[in-house]
Amino acid sequence: MSLKFLVVDDSVTMRRIVINSLRNLGFDSFVEAGDGKEAMDKLQADQTINFVITDWNMPNVSGLELVRSIRGSESLSKLSILMVTTRGVKEDIIEALNAKVNNYIVKPFTPQILKEKIDQIINAG
Amino acid sequence: MKHVSNMTDLFERLNELKVVFRYSEKLIPIIQNLMDFMKETVPLLENINSSLIESTSKIPKASDQLNNISSATELATTEILDIVDSISIDMERIEKSVKDVKSKEEEKLEIWQKIKTILGSEPSSAELVQKYEALNNFLPIVPGMLDAFQKVKNDVYNITLSLQVQDITTQQLAAVNHLIESVRSSLSSLMMHLDDSEIKSFDGFYKDMPVVGTFDPNAEYTKSTERQDAADVLINDRNSKTTQDEIDKLFS
Repeated sequence: MSLKFLVVDDSVTMRRIVINSLRNLGFDSFVEAGDGKEAMDKLQADQTINFVITDWNMPNVSGLELVRSIRGSESLSKLSILMVTTRGVKEDIIEALNAKVNNYIVKPFTPQILKEKIDQIINAG
Repeated sequence: MKHVSNMTDLFERLNELKVVFRYSEKLIPIIQNLMDFMKETVPLLENINSSLIESTSKIPKASDQLNNISSATELATTEILDIVDSISIDMERIEKSVKDVKSKEEEKLEIWQKIKTILGSEPSSAELVQKYEALNNFLPIVPGMLDAFQKVKNDVYNITLSLQVQDITTQQLAAVNHLIESVRSSLSSLMMHLDDSEIKSFDGFYKDMPVVGTFDPNAEYTKSTERQDAADVLINDRNSKTTQDEIDKLFS
């Protein structure tokens, strides 16, 4: 299955790091967004995106709100979502899981963790 | 009789007056002390007030400086990432060239083996063959070169990963900026009570202030896997039930 990633983070640095890591893992199809609002626009415009990697803390529309919007959308609800965030508090993780993220990475991440989580999501799907 | 009664009344009043005077005698030094204290305190309060005005007016500058640090680190990080990307592209290109040369050298070696077989019967060529082979020693060093390329590529990638620190410190600075803003707000309201005037020249102060929710005050740059491990327990708990005690232990 070929994956097209949408990498959502308000930090340009983080977007580049995530994309570099994905490239190192052998993936080659990426779209970027700086916040949840831009991400929703891109998802609605490009139906070929099938994997979202999103930060939590972002301006305008947060990562959590993005997850809820995706899960609430009829056409997008089946998308794979991996949250990559600095938030490592139990309550936050539970909130993200309740919003139905597929998996969760606490920053700073390692390439091994990123690969492991992507594999888990792909295999579960 | 009436005179006597009047005199008694008068003495009573005089006695009361005497008590008042005695009490006043005791009270006057206290009032005097209070006046002295006020004289000393008022300049002190004025000093505090002017210090507050000065400190509060410096806060936007401190906040600006923090924002400048964030912008500067982002710019520097972008430059590093550009260089790292450029090194990676160069490394890929060099690695590909080495692999191409290796492949051609292998072809050359095959041809050389055939030439050697032909020349083998010619005794005068033995020395030349030996010299030629000594000069053609590229193939044995190729695996070492490819390993070195891989190591450089891994190191460069690890530099990229370490730059996650920029995102995390930016969030920490944003949290400090918010603390500063809450101090400024408290000082400003204190001054309004003292001086009945609000700090001026705050125009644009809030312009670059990070919005709550766009940063994590608990952001932490650490190599420890504890937080990820704890998160994994919760994620795995969706399928297999982990006890609440076990989860709490991981987050304590």
